[in-house]
Amino acid sequence: MSNSVQKPLPQRQSIHPQTNDTWHSIAQRELSGESLEQAVASLQSWNLHVFARRVIDEATGEMGNPILPSDIVFLEPPLTTFE
Amino acid sequence: MLDLVIKNGKVVDGSGLPGFVADIGIKDGVIVQIGRGQQEAAEEIDASGLVVAPGFIDPHTHFDAQLLWDGAAKPAIEHGITTIVPGNCSLSLAPLKAEHRMKLVGMFNQIEEMPHKAFAQGVEWNWQTFPEFLARIGENLDINVAQLVGHSVLRLWVMGEASMQRIANASEIESMCALLEECLCAGAIGLSTSFVDMDERLQPVPSRYADTAELDALCAILSKHNKILQVVHEFYDSDLTLARVDQLAELSLKHGINTTFSPLFVSHDNADSAQRILQRVQEHTARGARVWPQVQTRPIDISFNFAVPSLLFMRLPKWYALMRFNAPDQIIAKLQQADTRAPLIAEAQGMMSLWERLILRQVQTPENQGLVGKSLREIAELRGCDALNAMIDLSLEEGLEAHFLSADMGHNDDQLVGDLLKHPNVMVGASDGGAHILSFATYGDTGYLLGHFVRDQATMSLESAVKKITSDPANLWGLGNRGMLREGFVADITLFDEAHIDRGSEHFVQDVPGDGSRYVRDAHGVHTVVIGGAIAFDSANGYRHAHRGQIIG
Repeated sequence: MSNSVQKPLPQRQSIHPQTNDTWHSIAQRELSGESLEQAVASLQSWNLHVFARRVIDEATGEMGNPILPSDIVFLEPPLTTFE
Repeated sequence: MLDLVIKNGKVVDGSGLPGFVADIGIKDGVIVQIGRGQQEAAEEIDASGLVVAPGFIDPHTHFDAQLLWDGAAKPAIEHGITTIVPGNCSLSLAPLKAEHRMKLVGMFNQIEEMPHKAFAQGVEWNWQTFPEFLARIGENLDINVAQLVGHSVLRLWVMGEASMQRIANASEIESMCALLEECLCAGAIGLSTSFVDMDERLQPVPSRYADTAELDALCAILSKHNKILQVVHEFYDSDLTLARVDQLAELSLKHGINTTFSPLFVSHDNADSAQRILQRVQEHTARGARVWPQVQTRPIDISFNFAVPSLLFMRLPKWYALMRFNAPDQIIAKLQQADTRAPLIAEAQGMMSLWERLILRQVQTPENQGLVGKSLREIAELRGCDALNAMIDLSLEEGLEAHFLSADMGHNDDQLVGDLLKHPNVMVGASDGGAHILSFATYGDTGYLLGHFVRDQATMSLESAVKKITSDPANLWGLGNRGMLREGFVADITLFDEAHIDRGSEHFVQDVPGDGSRYVRDAHGVHTVVIGGAIAFDSANGYRHAHRGQIIG
C-alpha cells in the first residue's frame, strides 16, 4: 500500500432511496434524460446488489427484491479506471 | 505496601515508543509506579525475559451471549485480551423487551451462529433495559466489557414488528434517540449498525430499514456524548464499500464523531480494491473526517458440517435453504432422495474446485477415521466419485457430523495483509470473537499479529504492533485511562514471551450450553494477564476468576 499523495479517486455517483422509492421513481427522478424503460434497466444492471437480492415477502410468500431505505443505489456503471 | 509488583520486564507501554526495562507497581487496581526500586508488594511477578504490555483490546466481538454464562469470555483472556467490545453489527442483547427475545435469538443464531439451545439452556432472561443488562453481566465479570448498543434492537424496542417493514416516523426516531441516550448514559460506548445482515427467516435486519434521517439523528446523539459509530458494510463489493466510506465521512464531519467499518479484507484478487478503499479513507482523513477500517490479522478459514447453515453456502440458495429451514432428519432425507438431491448437485457443480480442496477434519464413525486429513479430491478418487458427491455421502454416513475445512480462502497474503495492518489509517480488529462458533475460531488474532507479523515476518516493530492493539483502540473507542502503561492508568497488563507468542492450532470443544460445541484456539507464549490490578490468568495455574473485570463506559 502506498502512502504517497495521489490524485483523488473519482466517485461513482450514488443515492440513498427516498421513502417508497421504486426502480421507476428513481429512474424518473435521477435519469430523466433517458426513456423510462431504458433507465430502469440501467439502474437494475448497475445495482445487482439490490435487484438480484431475494427476500421472502412474508405477506405473500413470494420472493421479492425490495429496495431498502439504507441501500446505496448507483446512478452510473462501475468506474473502470484506477490510476 | 503495593498489591502487586511486576519486576524486570521489558515495558512496551502502548505508546509506540521503544521498550525499556522497569518494574511496575500496582495498588487498588491502578498503576502507581513505573521505574526501579519498587516498594514491597503482597504479590510479585518476575517478568525477566518477558514483555510487559498493556492488556490487549479486541474492538469487534460478539461475546454478548457468552458473557451471560462465562464472565471471562474464554479463551480471550488467555490470549492476552483484557477488554472486549461486544454489541457490533447492530446486535446487542439490550435494550430488549420480553416479547422480542426469540426474534433476537434468531438473529444471533443466523448472523453469529450462536445455537438456539445455548440461549435456552445458558440464559436466564432477567433484564430488559440496557442498565439492567449491564448489571446482569457485571455480576461475575473477569474481563472488561465496553458495550456497544445495536441499532436493530433500538428499532425493535421502539417499533416492534414494523422495525423490519418500514422507515421510522419522526416520533419513532425521537423515541430511538431517547433510548440511545439512555443507553449511552448507562455505559454504552457507542452505536453499531448493519447494512448487510439478514435474520433467521432471511429477512433484512431492522437497521437496514432505517433511512438516512434516522441514522443522522442517532449520530447527533452520539456526537452529544462523543461516542463511536460502528458499521458492518457490503464488504464483498469495493464500490459499495467506497460509498459507505463516503457516507461515514459525511456523518463524521457533520457530527464530529469517530466511525469505524469492518471488515476490510485483502487478497491477490482484490489488492487494488483495498488500495482504493484506503486511499478514499485517507482523502477523508485529510478533510478532517474520522473513518477507520478494521482489518483482521488471520487468514480466512471456514469449517462446516451440513447440520448448521454455513457462510460457505450463502451464494447457493438451494443449499442454504436446505440447511437453514430443515431439521437434520429432513436434510438427510432430502440428500438421500434422488429427486431432491439432483437439483442440489446441479447448483453446486460449478464450485467443484472448491469442494475438491476441502479437507475432512472430523468424523464420528470408526470406518471413516482413516480419511480424516485427506482432501475431498483424494477421497473422491478412492471412492470413484466426484468431490461433491463424496462430501454428501460422507455427511450422510456421519449423520451430518462430518466436518470439513476450507482453508486459506483469502486474506492470506502476508505482504498485502501486513501492509494493511501497519497502515496508520487502519485499526487491527474484526476478530468476531464469540461468533461463528462452528465456522472458525475467532481467537488468537493478537498472538498471530505478534508472532507471525512482528516476529516471523518483521512487518512492523513490536512497539508499533502493541500500540495497534492497546492505546489505538482505547483512544478510538473512548476507553478512558486504559491501553497504556502509565501511572494512574488502570492496571490491565499482559506479560508475554516475544519469542514464543502465537496462536495455537484450531480445535473443537464442547463447552457451549445445550451440549453445544465450538472451535477455539489455545494461546502460546502468554505468561500472565492482569485485569484491574489482579491476576486473571497465568499459564501455570490457568484462570483465577478474581472477577475484576469492569463495565467500561
